[in-house]
Amino acid sequence: MKVLACIKRVVDYNVKVRVKADNSGVDLANVKMSINPFCEIAVEEAVRLKEKGVATEIVVVSIGPTTAQEQLRTALALGADRAILVESAEDLTSLAVAKLLKAVVDKEQPQLVILGKQAIDSDNNQTGQMLAALTGFGQGTFASKVEVAGDKVAVTREVDGGAQTVSLSLPAIITTDLRLNEPRYASLPNIMKAKKKPLEVLTPDALGVSTASTNKTLKVEAPAARSAGIKVKSVAELVEKLKNEAKVL
Amino acid sequence: MNFEMTAEELAVIDSAEQVAREVIQPLAQHYDETETFCLASIRALGDLGCMGINLPEEYGGLGIGSLAMSRVVEAVAGACASTASAMTAHFLATDSILLGGTEEQKQEWLPRAASGELLAAFALTEPAAGSNPADMRSRAVREEGGWRVRGSKHYITNAKEADFIVLYVKTDPDAGHKGISAFIVPRGTTGISFSSPEKTMGLRGSTIYELSLDCWLPESALLGVEGQGFNTAMAVLDRGRVEVAAMSLGIANAALQASLSWVRERQIGPKPLAAYQGTQWRLADMYAQLESARMLTMKAAARRDSGERFSLDSATAKLVAAECAGFITDAALQLHGGYGYSRDLPLERYVRDARILRIFEGTSEVQKIIISRALLDAAK
Ligand SMILES: Cc1cc2nc3c(=O)[nH]c(=O)nc-3n(C[C@H](O)[C@H](O)[C@H](O)COP(=O)(O)OP(=O)(O)OC[C@H]3O[C@@H](n4cnc5c(N)ncnc54)[C@H](O)[C@@H]3O)c2cc1C
Repeated sequence: MKVLACIKRVVDYNVKVRVKADNSGVDLANVKMSINPFCEIAVEEAVRLKEKGVATEIVVVSIGPTTAQEQLRTALALGADRAILVESAEDLTSLAVAKLLKAVVDKEQPQLVILGKQAIDSDNNQTGQMLAALTGFGQGTFASKVEVAGDKVAVTREVDGGAQTVSLSLPAIITTDLRLNEPRYASLPNIMKAKKKPLEVLTPDALGVSTASTNKTLKVEAPAARSAGIKVKSVAELVEKLKNEAKVL
Repeated sequence: MNFEMTAEELAVIDSAEQVAREVIQPLAQHYDETETFCLASIRALGDLGCMGINLPEEYGGLGIGSLAMSRVVEAVAGACASTASAMTAHFLATDSILLGGTEEQKQEWLPRAASGELLAAFALTEPAAGSNPADMRSRAVREEGGWRVRGSKHYITNAKEADFIVLYVKTDPDAGHKGISAFIVPRGTTGISFSSPEKTMGLRGSTIYELSLDCWLPESALLGVEGQGFNTAMAVLDRGRVEVAAMSLGIANAALQASLSWVRERQIGPKPLAAYQGTQWRLADMYAQLESARMLTMKAAARRDSGERFSLDSATAKLVAAECAGFITDAALQLHGGYGYSRDLPLERYVRDARILRIFEGTSEVQKIIISRALLDAAK
């Protein structure tokens, strides 16, 4: 079974992001970039499926700038067999990404597509669902457990107040939640060996996909600074403020 | 001089920094307080494939350059200096085999040492021979089919935990330093006894031992050629000093980073500590020293790969970086006041750990001897 794992290059989760002075976006100059943590979980799950003998080939795909090759190399070091970069320097919407992924799915014909549930940069939580709609595959989003049996996959989903298990026919789309697994570290020898694994570069044009955007970012702002707390003189005053000012009682 | 690294080397540094931050750093205080060997951290480095970053690919090593290697050492030292010391002692031993061993010995020992399966130790120092290793007294005497080894070594990192020790002894006591040879001593060799771990000021998670030797070794244990031990040891230490410089950067940078967050949070009267000019000047001095040491370390690392002689570069980097780590860790503790002296924060550990950097692999005074000798030779 072929598995397609999708990864996004994002600002590393340890970095304190800064908004650009002109409010046009987040400053990415000299900032450490990494695989989106949820996508790392997607790669890890694919690798585990291969280790279990369920998957036979793992193709990792990213859509982004030339530099996203760094993250693809990391995924190859983690255990993917080959990589595809759909190169685009544009700021793509979730829908454009989903359309490009659909084209890659058509080309590669995977049985399972695993994506992160969302990317920690813009937190959209849309791409997996849109890809499911475009391909017509069943979707198991926010997965905390994945079990493949025959031509079906059982996906346990993290939903409000508990867990829900859905059974999907293959091919299917899965988006990962935090509890699905704990990704391994890329071992240093595997990082060196990843250089020799194939990495194909495609363009939206070559895939015949238009990425024209319907969205326009007007302004990016840092969250307002938290204001200092106040001291109350008595419990009575506290209760009064909770009732009338905070309106939580 | 070229300081560029490949994409793979940058990814290697990245992965090592992640493991240092997420796995090794959280264990550092525990090993320091319990004064026990940093086993889990060394295992984590073994799993990562980090125990062969000093070796070429043909012997199971990673085949990265010394610039990248020193960045990995820096990351480990910044997380836990004890772990970095245990790791670099292992490198001194495997470097000894790489530089002094026969092809057969390299094939036999290096791949398993690089994979983390085997841990190694490097035994040069004796109670009466530290800065002056040529005065060592331990001896190996040829016996039928092998060697009888008698003597003692002390302050040997990893000695008891190691699967093999590269041991330096005299095979010809009348030939001065030319009478020194090295041997590979596997774990379990009868006739070696270890002291309890020495009680030390810092690096308390990296155990060091005195060992007494009265053992028999087969002919095949002789590392490479008889009488070459001193040259091998000196060449190994030239390389090792780049790693000590990198360790210095790691500890110093950890102390500087801790200080930068502390001075912005700590209020002194109406304003944060960072708002006082005395603090600002101190921070600037710390940074300037760290960056000077970093440039010297990078230069020595680049030279180490160039094939040219680099003793002068590595001694200079080691001297400056070790001294700067002393200054920076002390300044960082001072900025933290009583909190820095308390064992709740790692500042006092940084000071204790950094103190060794001016002593092992040649004291600061010994580095000055090496540097001035090279300068005067060149001026002849
Ligand atoms: C934590 C730790 C780990 C170690 N790990 C190892 C290890 O793994 N393997 C190993 O072989 N050794 C190891 N050592 C030993 C270490 O390398 C020696 O302690 C070091 O080389 C100094 O030798 P010494 O202690 O005999 O000091 P001495 O040589 O006695 O030095 C005492 C003082 O005299 C000064 N001095 C010496 N010669 C001169 C001179 N010509 N001119 C001016 N001043 C001079 C020195 O600079 C120093 O200040 C370790 C030591 C420690 C503390």
